[in-house]
Amino acid sequence: MENPSYITLSRQTVLRRQMDVLANNLANMSTPAFKAEALMVIEHESPISTQGPRGMRNVSFVKDLATVRDLSEGALVHTDNPLDVAISGDGYFAIETDDGERYTRKGSFMLDGEGRLVTTAGQPVLDDRSRPIVVPPGSGEIEIAQDGTISARDPLLPGQNVVLGRFKVVAFENEYTLKREANGLNRPGAGADPEPVAAPTVFQGMIEKSNVNGIVEMTRLIETVRNFQSASKVVDDEHERQRKAIETLTRSSLSA
Amino acid sequence: MRALSIGATGMLAQQMNVEVISNNIANMNTTGYKRGRAEFNDLLYQDLRRVGAASSDAGTIVPSGVQVGLGVKAAAVYRITEQGNITITDNSLDLAINGRGYFEIEMPTGEIAYTRAGSFQLSPTGDMVTPDGYLVMPGITIPPQVTSISINNNGEVFVQLDGQVNPTRVGQLELAAFPNEAGLEAIGDNLFLETAASGGALASVPGKDGFGAILQGALETSNVNVVSEITNLITAQRAYEMNSKVIQAADEMMQNVNQLR
Repeated sequence: MENPSYITLSRQTVLRRQMDVLANNLANMSTPAFKAEALMVIEHESPISTQGPRGMRNVSFVKDLATVRDLSEGALVHTDNPLDVAISGDGYFAIETDDGERYTRKGSFMLDGEGRLVTTAGQPVLDDRSRPIVVPPGSGEIEIAQDGTISARDPLLPGQNVVLGRFKVVAFENEYTLKREANGLNRPGAGADPEPVAAPTVFQGMIEKSNVNGIVEMTRLIETVRNFQSASKVVDDEHERQRKAIETLTRSSLSA
Repeated sequence: MRALSIGATGMLAQQMNVEVISNNIANMNTTGYKRGRAEFNDLLYQDLRRVGAASSDAGTIVPSGVQVGLGVKAAAVYRITEQGNITITDNSLDLAINGRGYFEIEMPTGEIAYTRAGSFQLSPTGDMVTPDGYLVMPGITIPPQVTSISINNNGEVFVQLDGQVNPTRVGQLELAAFPNEAGLEAIGDNLFLETAASGGALASVPGKDGFGAILQGALETSNVNVVSEITNLITAQRAYEMNSKVIQAADEMMQNVNQLR
């Protein structure tokens, strides 16, 4: 008897969660290299009777199974900042954190007091031998080649460039298994080992923008609110139906 | 509802974005000003994966459970230390640095501050000072009877004394550089202080060891690009509006729930 209400409740729970995902996408419209997310929803069948026509033995609830990332590349924009690096195509930068190696596509780096290349949270960026990249004091302009090689003008030998290292750029067989953490970092899931990209393409002085499309998200937002309202209407009507049933049934039993 | 507070973090972030952009536009004519850029990071993620969800058959996509992000936060306001344009002023005490380096300024407290705004003047005693009257290190005194001052690319200061054929060298300007210029602390009046993030100052002669050269009679303009600032302002305002719509939508959904009996 209560099935319609419970099915609608499952729908509303999913819609509320969808709203959270949409809100997070829109809040991160200006976060570099942020990937938009969508809620993956599936049907969940539940038996209500063992008799009657086959199609009427089950009711379908709805449940959210996963948040799926849109892995398309965000637009690359010029910033003219020599320490902004964007990866074009596959790949993630390797970052050293206290909890182990993490991976990010957010290449807005800076230097810390020791001359190490770090993220905005101060975590060192790793080179292809998994060591922090250090720019010696007094170095001139930093140049980053398209293959990720970092060089700077040597402070002691005028007119000569010295190679400081090469970015460790890795890729994953299945990027969907990456777990998101704060500050744009990703943790590999169980069994997903990072593999070095042989020929990465990185651009200096550019940054990958968030791939959130404001128009799409706003359309989904309207859709979510309207769907939620329709679901509320069903709950309302169902409530009304039950009330009427009770009223009619009790009246007929009293008059009998 | 999480969406309410997530929308609020988005609005706060965009508000900060607009503040940084407006400060850039306000300083578009400030000598030696370096534009700022607000950097954002996503906030932490909440795991909502329920038991059994991961074991379901999901076709070709391997799901990673339900992870809901909790919004955005401001990570840093990053100063972009790109070289500004050089404009010629023909004032003999206007100095521009073409390349890396900062002038060293002695504050009234005795602290050393750093600046790239080289619009210097003379004090009543003939010392080279900033427009606020703070001494330019390492201290250059111009005698009162000079007819002209000339400063070369390497920061050597020469004066032409009345009645003499050869110029007299009265001092040598020094520049300081930092491992991480963006880590300097701005204290207003175009001045910066050394911090733990910037690393220690390395002093040297201009035009050598990778330091910039001094240009006399010129000033470094701000490196603000007005066109890109205005474009960023429009984007920030629209993003702000979209986030406010999220809050409105979440509010509508809650209102709907309240109308149920």
